[in-house]
Amino acid sequence: MKRLLTLLLAAAIAASFAGCATTNTNTQASSNGETTSGEKTEITFLTYNLSIASQKDAVQELIDTFNAQSDTVQVTGVQTDVASLQTKVQSDYVAGNTFDVVQVGLNSVDYYVENYALSAFEDIAGQEAYDQHMEGFAEKAQTLGTYTDGKTYVLPYTFSTPMLYYNKDLFEKAGLDPEQPPKTWEEVKTYGVALKDSGTEGIQITATGDGTDWLIQAMIYSNGGEVLSEDKKTILFGEQPAVDAISVWQDLVLSGAHSNYTDTEAMEAFMAGNQGMLVVSAAMESALISSSEAGGWELGAAGLPSFGDKEAVPTNSGSGLCIMSQDEEKAKAAWEFIQFVTSEEGYTIITSKMGYLPLRPAIIDDEKYLKSWAEEHPFVRTNLEQLERLHKWVGFPGLNSGQIATTLNQAVTECIFSDKDVETVMKQAQSEAQDLLPS
Amino acid sequence: MSEIALPLEQISVRRPSIAKTIMKRATPFLFLAPALLLVLFWVYRPLVETFGLSTKQWNMNPNVEPINVGLENFRYIFTHPDFLQAVLNTAIYILAMLPFSVVIPMILAIVTNNLSNRVKNIYRALFFLPMIMPPVAISAVWRWLMHPVNGLINSILIKMGFIEEGIRFLSDENMVLFSIVIIAGWKMIGFSTLMFSAGLTGIDKSYYEAASVDGHRRWKQTLSITIPLLSPTIMLMIMMSVLMTAQWTFAYIDVLTQGGPAGASTNVYYLLWTYGFKNFNSGLSAAAAVVFFIGFGLLALLFTRLTRKIAFYDN
Repeated sequence: MKRLLTLLLAAAIAASFAGCATTNTNTQASSNGETTSGEKTEITFLTYNLSIASQKDAVQELIDTFNAQSDTVQVTGVQTDVASLQTKVQSDYVAGNTFDVVQVGLNSVDYYVENYALSAFEDIAGQEAYDQHMEGFAEKAQTLGTYTDGKTYVLPYTFSTPMLYYNKDLFEKAGLDPEQPPKTWEEVKTYGVALKDSGTEGIQITATGDGTDWLIQAMIYSNGGEVLSEDKKTILFGEQPAVDAISVWQDLVLSGAHSNYTDTEAMEAFMAGNQGMLVVSAAMESALISSSEAGGWELGAAGLPSFGDKEAVPTNSGSGLCIMSQDEEKAKAAWEFIQFVTSEEGYTIITSKMGYLPLRPAIIDDEKYLKSWAEEHPFVRTNLEQLERLHKWVGFPGLNSGQIATTLNQAVTECIFSDKDVETVMKQAQSEAQDLLPS
Repeated sequence: MSEIALPLEQISVRRPSIAKTIMKRATPFLFLAPALLLVLFWVYRPLVETFGLSTKQWNMNPNVEPINVGLENFRYIFTHPDFLQAVLNTAIYILAMLPFSVVIPMILAIVTNNLSNRVKNIYRALFFLPMIMPPVAISAVWRWLMHPVNGLINSILIKMGFIEEGIRFLSDENMVLFSIVIIAGWKMIGFSTLMFSAGLTGIDKSYYEAASVDGHRRWKQTLSITIPLLSPTIMLMIMMSVLMTAQWTFAYIDVLTQGGPAGASTNVYYLLWTYGFKNFNSGLSAAAAVVFFIGFGLLALLFTRLTRKIAFYDN
């Protein structure tokens, strides 16, 4: 008995050490073994795509391709998961040892500019070179990383909009036309109820988990609302247009057209062919395509539905790149690297292998880059059309920005998964959030 | 135990010099010093710092000077519904966890205790297995099992005709807390069973022999010998369970529900982690930590008192 106990304990201890070990090995050496670092300026690139299984290889390919063609710069990718990105940046900053290029959520541009010493791209590259690089870049995306002083501190990089994905086979089973996906939320309700009646699940808008406030914002903007006033002093997500949007959403759930699962559960149900419709970031598209192929059902895609005849206003989920290095030589090297990843060649890899939007839209008609790929993947055009109507993903100002986003998220979840009065809940959340704004 | 600690005076014949006495008294502390210093540095220093942080507003950015806000953080958490809900949830978690950490393991340990050594070891290894599995992997497996449409549990229940529509184990606000308890409890059973088994091996066999001679049946023996003599272990496990449940459930909350839907499955540790490491509001997080430290400290004190009163030690 005693020996067994010791053995088990030893196993338990070993297991816990193994756990530690795996969490500590997040520095990824470049897989490209050549270390010709003698002349090259070495820089680090902190990116969360390296921790996503389906995107890891593509990021590494971006880095390796750049390293192979550059004589002056050597980039090393460092991985982090999205949730601990900021913790990592911050703890690194405390140690006085920043990463040179950091991938930043586009809602936290203000936070980064106000809390870390960032340099603007116009200053590092020079206005002329910067303008030249931005030619051909999607117009709506250009200014998303711009701070109130008019300079760009974060250059948009990976980018996607919310899309409505649906299961064509389930549509047919429910007697719905698979080539006519719903365009408005009223239609979504009819379709959802029909799907539910046919014994499957209707729609799920995957915006109940943490960090999904970008999609909630899209719902509010689509109904003509705002979450924050222009001067960033007043919270507006408790106002009428927002309340009405959330009420429509609540009605979808109450009528049975919208399933009430967690985001992950809905995603799994959809991928297993048990859920009719899913509103989710287009970044998930490659995963959806492969599961539909594996499950033998046909995937359909449409843009974000609208409220009546108001045009739907999508927000972006996505990230940009900022240069954190204070060293002039490294900053220049970082600019070299960022120019490459946001070039036509960079976006060819990003779009075809990671599933984000080509922010140089012209490349999908260019034989040299994505033309043939785009013919096989027609959804990318719907996604690009939405870019035209994009509303910025708003980050809340001040030290409590994260808490305000959580407040919004929780209030909406509370509304849609209950029959509570939406106006009361949202007004209450609005006043709580207002208290959290810097006065 | 007690015969080792004989008073020094009784052993030494001559009165030693003061310096020697000091050296003698200090020796054990010198041996303890590395451990004590580590505890001071890693436990008590952060504790003191937490008290300091609880009166500040700070996002943990070294470029930002912490703002002194006095007791504002405490006012915020006590007036905020999140906090109350987390405390209530934690109380439910603690109560619901007790069957898994005390009742079931005790029964398992007693039932398997009289089996042959080999069989006993196989059983105990089986009970202990969940304990050495990493929580994140466990969460993933349980999420598949508990999935409302694709999950094994629901499809079995539907096929057997108990329910018509899948139970939303992790997204129904009335259900989610108990689903987390089942997962965390399933994992803890092994550890507790082990503790109880260790307690059982400490019981002198001659009591049972005497009882058998007196003609007492097994269940009577269990009630009047095993359980009283196991009482120190029972009290220890109740105390551990009460104080640690919030930590044991943390990983599953984080992976499976993130405290949702709408805060229905959050607990005190998850809340303070959210304040600190998701919202980067270290002041709020520290204030909540101070409140929980005092609360759990009082509970621990109560339990040590109770243990002294209730537990029966067979010396």
